[in-house]
Amino acid sequence: MDIRPILSALLRNRAGAFLVALQIAITLALIVNAVYLTTQRVTKIGRPSGIDDQNIFAFWVTTYEKDYDFLGMLREDMAMIRQMPDVIDAAPMGQVPLSGSGNSSGYYSLPDKKGEESPANTYETDDHGARALGVTLSAGRDFEPNDVVYKQTESRERFYPASAIISSGLAKALFKDQPALGKDFYDDQSHPIRVIGVISHMQGSWVGWDKVDRTLLYTRVEPPSTQYVIRVKPGSIDRVIAAVEVALRKRDPNRVLETPMRKMSDMKRRSYAGDSLMAVTLTTVTTLVLVFSALGIFGLATFNVNSRTRQIGTRRAVGARKLDIVKYFLAENWLVTSAGVIVGCAMALAAGYWLSTQYQLPRLDLYYLVGGVLGLWALGQLAAWQPALRAAKVSPAMATRNV
Amino acid sequence: MLAYYLRLALASFRRNPGLTALMVIAIALGISVCMITLTTYRAAAKNPAGDRSGVLFAASIDSWDPDHAYDEGETDPDTGKPLAPNMLTYRDARALFASDIPDRKLIMYQSNDIYTRADKGMEPQYFRTRMTTADFFAMFEVPFLYGGPWNARADAGPDPVIVLSKEANQKAFGGVNSVGRIIHWEKRDFRVIGVLDSWEPMPKYFDVSNGAFEEMEGAYVPFSWGQVLELGSHGNTNCWKTEVIDSYQSFLNSECIWFHGWFELRTAAKQQAFREFLDNYVLEQKKHGRFPRPLNNYLYDVDGWLKRNKVVDDDNKAMLVLAFAFLAVCLVNTVGLLLAKFLNAAPTAGIRRALGASRRDIFWQHLTESGAVALAGGMVGGLLGLAGVWALRAWYGRFVDQALRALPFDANNFLIIIAIAVGAGLVAGLYPAWRIGRAAPASYLKVQ
Repeated sequence: MDIRPILSALLRNRAGAFLVALQIAITLALIVNAVYLTTQRVTKIGRPSGIDDQNIFAFWVTTYEKDYDFLGMLREDMAMIRQMPDVIDAAPMGQVPLSGSGNSSGYYSLPDKKGEESPANTYETDDHGARALGVTLSAGRDFEPNDVVYKQTESRERFYPASAIISSGLAKALFKDQPALGKDFYDDQSHPIRVIGVISHMQGSWVGWDKVDRTLLYTRVEPPSTQYVIRVKPGSIDRVIAAVEVALRKRDPNRVLETPMRKMSDMKRRSYAGDSLMAVTLTTVTTLVLVFSALGIFGLATFNVNSRTRQIGTRRAVGARKLDIVKYFLAENWLVTSAGVIVGCAMALAAGYWLSTQYQLPRLDLYYLVGGVLGLWALGQLAAWQPALRAAKVSPAMATRNV
Repeated sequence: MLAYYLRLALASFRRNPGLTALMVIAIALGISVCMITLTTYRAAAKNPAGDRSGVLFAASIDSWDPDHAYDEGETDPDTGKPLAPNMLTYRDARALFASDIPDRKLIMYQSNDIYTRADKGMEPQYFRTRMTTADFFAMFEVPFLYGGPWNARADAGPDPVIVLSKEANQKAFGGVNSVGRIIHWEKRDFRVIGVLDSWEPMPKYFDVSNGAFEEMEGAYVPFSWGQVLELGSHGNTNCWKTEVIDSYQSFLNSECIWFHGWFELRTAAKQQAFREFLDNYVLEQKKHGRFPRPLNNYLYDVDGWLKRNKVVDDDNKAMLVLAFAFLAVCLVNTVGLLLAKFLNAAPTAGIRRALGASRRDIFWQHLTESGAVALAGGMVGGLLGLAGVWALRAWYGRFVDQALRALPFDANNFLIIIAIAVGAGLVAGLYPAWRIGRAAPASYLKVQ
């Protein structure tokens, strides 16, 4: 098919063709990057936490009298909660994973800050902690009651745990491919910590942190406050929350319970709210942009068909088949789209580069660009399809008529 | 003449209602997306200190690890040098506070929550607490509902006085004037000396270490009580040095940072003097083996402080760029549609030219039509934008930082958006209107 006549026809309405090409260029740059960013966010939100995060809730319990029997309170509360219906397990915990609030420390594979170095989120709990989070041990054992250190009073001293259960993420960071179980690792003051168990996967507190999968549990309980973390059977969480609040207040009104108690699913959603907002916005804008590009192409094609009715009639009269007319308009559209796509590729790469410097993201994946180009070509042809068919219906008799 | 052009525009809309609706929707959607992201951006980028922004300064001195810069990899937005910590050690906070250069000064930290009874027999309450020196209230222009702040003498005591937020006063005393009433805390009686009026600067510029849109404190207590009662920090505490910390006193003496210092410096001379004071202080401390890093001190005004702490996050910026790219697509689309529409109606314009209308008349006629489309688009877009902002607050306000709770809904915004829409529509209409005005009437008349 000869494209010269198409080109010369296009040049007669340069502005219209130019505008559609420009629109396609911006569209390509925008959607390729938007889809890329959305994929990143959706993947991030969908990562498994390793924790039974849909069936856990937590709340602060704080005592405010200096001579209050904190450990007695904890013992009795835990005994009561653990035998309540639908409760799988409960444990005191200093911080809660996925909540946005947490502690972290630096650890080393050798004493004197030597060897491999890695930070990790630390969780202070008792021997029920791992079960209350619903994490799975891939090696070693869970804590036993005599692993737990109970402090009678609030101490200012730093605590040096003798043993810990660590996530496989931390194990890999400290010990590379060596098995971590039974080995010691060290804090910044060279106190050794023995690995007694390895969790197959567990995320920490800050979902935006690139080391979120480096976590460790150790066992200590200390006044004056802690969070109760309670894991329940699926579907029973609202019921258990109501029952626990009533039961705790009844057992002892002389402490402050944090209400409403927080579901871990809500904390998780809150932690990812920025990401999900970004994903929703990007998806919405991408869809709208595609719709408008399609409408723009459709508008130009319709205009071209309308303003060339006589020309089409003439072509039909001198022997062009309907198919030739359809092909002509589709080819014209393809040329405009292609011009837009070429400029758009450059714009998309530039925008991708800017984003990668903004977000420290890997550079835009070229598959997205290829997908975007193919998608826009298809979209262009689809949008021009109806006007092209209408053009094919123009009767050859039009050539002889005044419009 | 305008009325006549508007009538012509209306007639033209009636001829192609679908095309007209399409243009209105294109402008409306582009405008509404921009309005939503702009509102979010402005909420985050706001400087609530207003005209005091330029006289309030946060001190940031580099007491950090010799081997690693604080926030390694990040640099100061103005100088491009490594950042210094955004908090102070206890010793440094006290030393800076002792300077008599500033017109006003404060040191503070976010303490553990107070768990207390307001009166015997009441349910225990808890308040998030800020330990601060007296000038806090004057420097940040904190409004009082009842009573007032404490003074420097109460700081020195420290006197057992407490200032409650309006919300905390509601919780503890049912909202009545509670000045003089007693709060029992840590087995001591604290006397309520003032109750604040509603006060929620967004972003919470004076302390962004726990997030710039974090909840406000419920209670304010003289700074020195923190040391008397040995209260730790509820906010961030960052340490770099390997040192033995086995008591509260050793924690205070450590290189851990958890304090903030703000200084009111009204003249350029004082600002300069205070900068020199900071440098001299650090040089003096170096002689005692502290401050192992190169001299790297900053004095940020409120604007600089918000930038240094990246209060406007990258997502906000990316969304703003995205929104304007989207508006660009919508406008290009509108230009294309207007052009097609005008050229389709070119024979009519040709007749009008032949009957004596000048090029300029034709141009203005078509520009009026573009303006009318844009006005309609702007109004629809403004309403859509309002709905979008409302939906954002309703769906995400609970989860996203409180920034979204504070999204402004004001009439001004709405008018600005409509003005932008009309402006954009007129720009979009310029070329098509010029093009149609330039067309020679004869060529169209011939075909007819």
